[in-house]
Amino acid sequence: MDDLDPVIHAQGRLRIMATLSTLGDADQVTFPRLQELLDMTAGNLSTHLRKLEDAGYVSVDKTHRGRTPVTYLELTKQGRRAFEDYVETLRSVLGQQP
Amino acid sequence: MTTQPPASDGENALDPAQMLALVEDQKRSVEGQLASFVPVIVTAWGIAWLVGFGCLWLIDGLAPAFALPLPLAVAIFVLLLMGAIAVSAVLGIRSGRGMRGSSAEAFAGIVYGCTWTIGSLAIVGFGAGLSFNGMSAELANIFYPIAFVLFAGIMYILSAALWRAVPMLILGVWTLIVAVAAPFFGMPTHYLVLALGGGLGFLALGVASFVYLRRLRARVTRRAAGHG
Repeated sequence: MDDLDPVIHAQGRLRIMATLSTLGDADQVTFPRLQELLDMTAGNLSTHLRKLEDAGYVSVDKTHRGRTPVTYLELTKQGRRAFEDYVETLRSVLGQQP
Repeated sequence: MTTQPPASDGENALDPAQMLALVEDQKRSVEGQLASFVPVIVTAWGIAWLVGFGCLWLIDGLAPAFALPLPLAVAIFVLLLMGAIAVSAVLGIRSGRGMRGSSAEAFAGIVYGCTWTIGSLAIVGFGAGLSFNGMSAELANIFYPIAFVLFAGIMYILSAALWRAVPMLILGVWTLIVAVAAPFFGMPTHYLVLALGGGLGFLALGVASFVYLRRLRARVTRRAAGHG
């Protein structure tokens, strides 16, 4: 259990990582759409995202569409790898074949 | 039954088995949400094929007992086709809201979309060329619908390859079989074959995708309730 990445090992962040990893390899998603896919409050989502961003697992791209600011989120390569490692560790803890 | 949402701030962790289940449920939930429009589009196409080609068949398929006036039949056919295209475009765009793919994927999507237009125009051109070389109006009644249906079948297979969608591969192959078989039934029965073959193929896929998505949702909610 000690091997489980503490950044990912929380329900909220695990769900975020699972959601982002379900999207395609270089797919980006806006904050509101991600919130909708997760059914999470904006406050919660941004708190978790900040931790994931600090760990280098999620990259945040702030841009503009016309005059409205849009925030795009995406899993970094490092984040994808960390998530895969986390799931693999879970499986091995449970005695499953990866 | 006490259903409890995952702790309000999502900061705590569950035991490994539950965490793994959470990953799988969330992935399924996202897949389901991203694909929720599919049954609607597929059903719209099923109706367009069934009723559209059905109307073309009714022009003289049941003569002399019943005959649908040609302009009316063609109008219904075109309207249904446009309707299905509109439903696909609107829902397709809606499903992609708030998402941005890689440029490679966007390129594939644009090329695929344009190929529908280019290919359709090419078929019209090819038909005109055949008429120029003496294709009769009767033969044109076979050529055009079959050529479009063949083309559609190939495009479905292509979409399966591009987006790894096995159901589209099945639909594509089925569409090709229907297209190749239809002319052997002769005019105007080939319209009926296209209506039933194509329409029922789509409607079956619509039902299958609806059932699949509902099961996906049911599994996720059941699990969420169980793990409260």
